Amino acid sequence: MKRFRFASLVLHPALVMALIMAVASLATAQTPKSGGALNVMLREDLPQGFAIHESSTYSTSFPALPCFNNLVFFDPAKPTESMDTIVGDLAERWSWQDNYKNLVFFLRKDVKWHDGKPFTSKDVKFTFDMLRETSDARAKLRINPRKDWYANIEHIEAADPHTVVFRLKRPQPALLMMLASGYSPVYAAHIPPAQYRTSCIGTGPFKLKEWRRGEFVEYVKNPDYFVKGRPYLDGLKYVVIVERGTRTAALQAGQLDTACPGETSKTTMDQLKKAVPQMVFHTVAQDVTDNIIMNVKKAPFDNPKVRLAVSYAIDRRGLIQASHQGGAILGAAMLPRPFGIWGVSDKDLLTMPGYGKADEMKARAKKLLAEAGITPDKPLKVEMGTRAIAIYIDMASYVINELKQVGIDATLKQVETAQWHAMATRGDYQIGANLTGLGTDDPDANFYENYACGSPRNYSQYCNEEVMKMFDRQSQELDPKKRLEQVVAIQKRLEQDAPRPILAQRLDYFAHWQHVKGLVPHNNVYNFSRFQDVWRDK
Amino acid sequence: MKTYIAQRLGIGLVTLFGMSVVIFLLLRLAPGNIVDILFSTGGYVNPAERAAIERELGLDRPLWAQYVEWMGQLAVGNLGKSYRYDLPAWEIIRPLVPVTLELAMLSLIISVVLGVPLGVISAVRQDTRLDYVLRVFSLAGLSMPSFWLGMVIILGLVAWIGWIPPVTYVRMSENFWLHAVQFMLPALAVGYRSSALIMRITRSSLLEVLREDYVRTAWAKGQTRRAVIWRHALKNAILPVVTVIGIEFAFLIGGLVVTETVFNLPGLARFLVQAILWRDYPIVQNLVMFIAVVVILSNLLVDMLYGVLDPRVRYGS
Repeated sequence: MKRFRFASLVLHPALVMALIMAVASLATAQTPKSGGALNVMLREDLPQGFAIHESSTYSTSFPALPCFNNLVFFDPAKPTESMDTIVGDLAERWSWQDNYKNLVFFLRKDVKWHDGKPFTSKDVKFTFDMLRETSDARAKLRINPRKDWYANIEHIEAADPHTVVFRLKRPQPALLMMLASGYSPVYAAHIPPAQYRTSCIGTGPFKLKEWRRGEFVEYVKNPDYFVKGRPYLDGLKYVVIVERGTRTAALQAGQLDTACPGETSKTTMDQLKKAVPQMVFHTVAQDVTDNIIMNVKKAPFDNPKVRLAVSYAIDRRGLIQASHQGGAILGAAMLPRPFGIWGVSDKDLLTMPGYGKADEMKARAKKLLAEAGITPDKPLKVEMGTRAIAIYIDMASYVINELKQVGIDATLKQVETAQWHAMATRGDYQIGANLTGLGTDDPDANFYENYACGSPRNYSQYCNEEVMKMFDRQSQELDPKKRLEQVVAIQKRLEQDAPRPILAQRLDYFAHWQHVKGLVPHNNVYNFSRFQDVWRDK
Repeated sequence: MKTYIAQRLGIGLVTLFGMSVVIFLLLRLAPGNIVDILFSTGGYVNPAERAAIERELGLDRPLWAQYVEWMGQLAVGNLGKSYRYDLPAWEIIRPLVPVTLELAMLSLIISVVLGVPLGVISAVRQDTRLDYVLRVFSLAGLSMPSFWLGMVIILGLVAWIGWIPPVTYVRMSENFWLHAVQFMLPALAVGYRSSALIMRITRSSLLEVLREDYVRTAWAKGQTRRAVIWRHALKNAILPVVTVIGIEFAFLIGGLVVTETVFNLPGLARFLVQAILWRDYPIVQNLVMFIAVVVILSNLLVDMLYGVLDPRVRYGS
């Protein structure tokens, strides 16, 4: 009887129908739909137009990426970027030759620029010769922030219209990571690079329709896009909203479909979750660190003991709670797991300056300062420079309070944005509170840019030949396991030399409405916003 | 009359010249220039590249040469090129002007429509309960910054009804009602503050006039309340109110920065702040000159209105 009842229940027509409908709706929900457009949040107008190669902010790359393609790109569906998640883009495939000294790209043959001209290997050579500033480059960028990324390329050959060869000075497998970054799009050889500051001719899934300065950037679907069936969306509209409260209100009210990277703090997420339970959030790393820069060429920070004391003095966990309300994680120079792959493990972090128990760390800081001749009777007076922006000032204020507890009397000096990088590059400061974003989660991109001798972004002026050799060694290492060991050793060494102690790795709680599908934020703010595979379920 | 206007315009030109010198020098005294900002977005500075860009933009020339060139171009109606956007400055400024003018005019209308009648009521009902309520209302308007009120409106709307006015600018020709909604809320936020000021001036001025002998005479002659207050008293009390309205309009043209930012309206003031942050000299200089011209003209208009409203103030007679 019981069995009969159960069977009749299971076979009840209404239940079967409901089950079929549920399965069908699930299947429908998972099948991408074409059509519709998205309104995307933008925190400021495009600082350099679409000229990604002349900019180092995601205020440029985020809204410009849909216009472009790279040779290779990070798989949009995988949030953690690594060599294994690199997929072909303008290059159908690639091949390392001569023990990682030659990199050959086999280009797609069906690609057209937005103005209808065909894409060829000449465009690739044009772009990367321009970035390398070779003597025979056909164009020059007004500013060129990532020239160092390509310093190891000796020569680029456009072997035929659809094959291009990068010849390297020494093996550098990680070059692919730089090429896959959102900062490495291919420009059209027939367009002067200056023109990208006002308009965009790319090969990407979306064509620029209109850029109304200070208001919005609007794209329409590129019907000739080389990936068949993509993009799903008919258009994208990036709406510039300078006021943070209005941005959040616009997202909450549904006037925006998605936030922009780095915009949703933990507090904002909590507020939005309460107000709009159906909103979707992704906890990802920004690949942006809070760090302290100390000028190693100027007293008192030319003394390694003083630098190390500063590092020991700052309670990282306290900073994460006070300045980020828990929205950040501990880490050294590279992003730790699960967000990245090159970071120092938690166990190793505990052995590094400033990561242990706060009281013990401060006691060690005092001891080091005493050894350097700095005592409570003779406190060290310094000026702590920082950008006059809230996120910088919050961090600097916290650090000043921490330093005071070990006998360093720091006063805050707010520096206007216009002056900050000029001042830091010149080394015209003693100590500063700084933020650093990485274009790609790779040691080469980080070490050569921020710690290498002579790099313009090595603000602390740190230069250590032995460490430079360690950089080169890890860069040439072909075995990922061995490379990781070397990278960890370098990070420990950098924290021990303390030219730029890392305080925290910032997190983002990327928000979008539930009808936005296929948008997977990455653990890096620069590399995931092409919207090629994003669709609208509404 | 013509002589008077010519004199005022002459003084206006001298004022504009002074303004041009002040804004030109102040901008250059501020730390950094557009080249520093460009490198800031690159995160580094290369002295050689820096010098090349300064040369390209003409920033390497002596200050006097830059000033003379600006004045020369301005005289022939050429506003120069935006450093940031690499486009003619006029092309960028032109769409901003109607947005700010419309918002300023709407705010002013709201402030006059609210401020003058309430001021009259408050004066006529002096020291009654209604007067106290209206004075508290006006004091609140003066105490609340309009941007704060704007933010409260936005946050209140999104919290209570999950809706806010459009965050992208809707032209009147695209959708009249949406356009009206988009402008009404910021105009109310700004207009409330201005109306409070106008109400207080109207009240105090009218109270003074209501004690004049000729008003007593009008009452004694048995004229109606409406005639005494609106025809005899208010007409004489309105001169200081007109002055305040003129000043408010001039202030609104350049002073809507935060309101435009909070309501995300693409107006002059919001853009001016962005241009200052970017040290986009051609945009800033020309926008400031435009605002100065509006201030001078609105002051002139107010002075002309004096003559219309009060026969004793007739210029040139």
